[in-house]
Amino acid sequence: MGLFDKLASWLGLKRREVNVLCLGLDNSGKSTIINHLKPASARVQDIVPTIGFSVEKFSTSSLSFTVFDMSGQGRYRNLWENYYREAQAIIFVIDSGDKLRMVVAMEELDTLLNHPDVKHRRIPILFFANKMDLRDALSSVKVSQLIGLDRIKDKPWHISGSNALTGEGLQEGVEWLQDQIRSMKT
Amino acid sequence: FNFPTARYDDDNNNNNRNETNSKWLDAHYDPVANLYTFSSCTGLADLQGDGENKLVVGDLGTGVYNMKLKVYKGTNLLSENTLLDLPTGVAIFLMDQNEPLTPAIAVASGPYIYIYKNLRPYFKFTLPALEVNPLEQEVWSQVKEDKIDPVTLKEMLEGIRYKNDNLPLFKKSFRFLMLDMQETEAFVNLHKHQPIKRQTFLDTPSYFAKSRSDRRALTCTVLCTYSNKSLHISSLFFFSLNTQMSLPSAPAFLDVTGQFDVEFRITVACRNGNIYILRRDAKRPKYCIELSSQPVGLVRVSKNVVVGCTNETLLGYTQKGKKLWTAYLPAPITTMSLLDHKTRGLQAVLVGLANSEVHMYRDKNLVNIINTQDVVTSICFGRYGREDGTLIMTTKGGGLIIKILKRTAQFEEKDMTPGPPLAQSIKLNIPKKTKLYVDQTLRERENAVAMHRAFQVDLYRLRLTTARAYIKNLEASLNPMSSSALEPLKMNAVVQGIGPSFKLTLNIQNTSAARPVINLFLSFLYDEKLYSMKTSFFKIPMLVPGLNYPIETFVDCLSDKGISDVIKVFVLREGKSTPLLTAHINMPVSEGLSAA
Ligand SMILES: Nc1nc2c(ncn2[C@@H]2O[C@H](COP(=O)(O)OP(=O)(O)OP(=O)(O)O)[C@@H](O)[C@H]2O)c(=O)[nH]1
Ligand SMILES: [Mg+2]
Repeated sequence: MGLFDKLASWLGLKRREVNVLCLGLDNSGKSTIINHLKPASARVQDIVPTIGFSVEKFSTSSLSFTVFDMSGQGRYRNLWENYYREAQAIIFVIDSGDKLRMVVAMEELDTLLNHPDVKHRRIPILFFANKMDLRDALSSVKVSQLIGLDRIKDKPWHISGSNALTGEGLQEGVEWLQDQIRSMKT
Repeated sequence: FNFPTARYDDDNNNNNRNETNSKWLDAHYDPVANLYTFSSCTGLADLQGDGENKLVVGDLGTGVYNMKLKVYKGTNLLSENTLLDLPTGVAIFLMDQNEPLTPAIAVASGPYIYIYKNLRPYFKFTLPALEVNPLEQEVWSQVKEDKIDPVTLKEMLEGIRYKNDNLPLFKKSFRFLMLDMQETEAFVNLHKHQPIKRQTFLDTPSYFAKSRSDRRALTCTVLCTYSNKSLHISSLFFFSLNTQMSLPSAPAFLDVTGQFDVEFRITVACRNGNIYILRRDAKRPKYCIELSSQPVGLVRVSKNVVVGCTNETLLGYTQKGKKLWTAYLPAPITTMSLLDHKTRGLQAVLVGLANSEVHMYRDKNLVNIINTQDVVTSICFGRYGREDGTLIMTTKGGGLIIKILKRTAQFEEKDMTPGPPLAQSIKLNIPKKTKLYVDQTLRERENAVAMHRAFQVDLYRLRLTTARAYIKNLEASLNPMSSSALEPLKMNAVVQGIGPSFKLTLNIQNTSAARPVINLFLSFLYDEKLYSMKTSFFKIPMLVPGLNYPIETFVDCLSDKGISDVIKVFVLREGKSTPLLTAHINMPVSEGLSAA
């Protein structure tokens, strides 16, 4: 990045572009989260299950995010790995109300962490323990225990509880991600 | 609830994962879920139209108390309804097509079918009562009027029971007969005013789509009634019985496939150890499979039927009852269920065993073994919550085990069972039946009677011709054995040499017991252009009974054309022109002359 670009981005004139991959099981709330991060004018009313994937854009004060919102349905999950190489950050969404499928989320996370395109990279991963509003939802601490986040030693990660319907907890997570990306050398 | 503990922190641990773990994820295990049930009492369906499948369990409780219909959502119990009697089967079916689609639950229990909709009791459907033995009815009505005491009642009921075995007694009588003498008084006083009714008992209800095969199709339920050996097919959404089929024995397991309006097939395993296959438009079973031991489970995998038997075997049959294979199991079967993963096109049979294992069979091949914490008594595989490949099992101790099939799991079609090598099951390349063969077979089948008759006529003709020829021979004494009582003689002739000179030996024997024969002559008749003989007529010496008299003479062949002829030999009695014996000697071709 040239001196001018740096100055421009510092002044907020030109934002840095980042590719983010949004992963997680179907129905975990990925599309709803991304929809909420977009400016109010660009939001859509109803969210339908994603087929394949969709590309969305939103920006924070200093970064411009291009998000690959992947479908979480079993038959589309093998598409995920095609986008690992391009991704500079990963958002992993977990439905904290779906206790039964915690093992499935853990299994998919395992596959992700062991993939050659991810394994040896210091790629930041942001976890959303989503649907915190549900009556029988697990706390974000419990979720991180269940899917074994403490095993991630060589990557920066963060988990925040969220409610994608109201947007609660989303900002906290995205700020953490922005800090991580800015601190990364280019 | 119990969470699986976090696994494998590093790569080394991955290598230690056993066969089962590489296929299944342990989603949930609750050893004290208090669920006591069997496979036909469980089901999965989206009962609330929210895209999440729930688990329906007809809980047997202790068998006396705590019978319940339970519905689970994820790892939690969503609702509970008390049942009055033991549930014998659960079926989930579509009653209406109002959006969102909310299927109803049918629970068979005693003589009733309870229908639940939106997790609430909705309708009770009573099966028609069966006929009652009039004698039995009479006895009980006398009891009501205090005309007979418990002792006489017992005797009379015993009598009715032994006399009439095709109309079983009703429940009250049975319970009375089981009591000790001192308890009978109280029982009679308690029960004498109850009406007498003998009820149909239901076994597994099962269902099929009525006319269309899509998700929204209304479904029909097949009810298997226990005591009158018949199958009822009723459309539960009209609440009326419409078809009845009779069976030779009481049904135990049932499988239904097809559509009620178009074509369907019902496979029933019965208590008499036979499996019957019924089709639409047939009041009687179309095919019958006779098992060598009692069936304990029945599963249909696409077009085949897989049966588990008490002798620890698993048998595969075609839908026409032809046996395909046998697999031997290491322990008795506790339950069986189908694994049908539509999105992955995976079909297999899950067999719960008494050694706390669940075996997964694809055809006769054992493809996976799941070790469970306890003996599994019910298995249900399907979409649960939002996960397509969920395996739900309940155990003997009342536990609930939920496993999820890994997205990456692959099942190899390799044969893990000991037994005959694969080569043995390779089909031989048998040529197709020709049209000629088929036509011939058809002709034989159609004209069997006429063909049999024609054959019989020809056979009699042949016998007649033979008998006639034999008589003629006897009359003309053309045979080499004399049957006359005075001169019982036997003769045989031997030709020796390669020509042109042959030696003729005639062995003559008197077969009578004690009488010698005298005054016999021997004469030859032959073509004089072909053969020459030194003497063609001579006297036979006296024949002593039992001894063999070889008479030798020489024949010369005159022709060099390689032809041969017959020489006739006659045994004659002095003064008579009809011979006693005749022998035809087929002369061999003279080789010596042609070679010379
Ligand atoms: N109560 C609650 N519901 C949520 C929350 N987030 C999302 N949902 C609901 O969850 C459902 C699924 O959300 P989606 O955003 O479509 O899920 P997804 O992860 O994109 O699913 P796929 O595209 O199929 O992978 C929707 O009905 C959302 O309204 C939340 O925080 N709380
Ligand atoms: Mg989506």
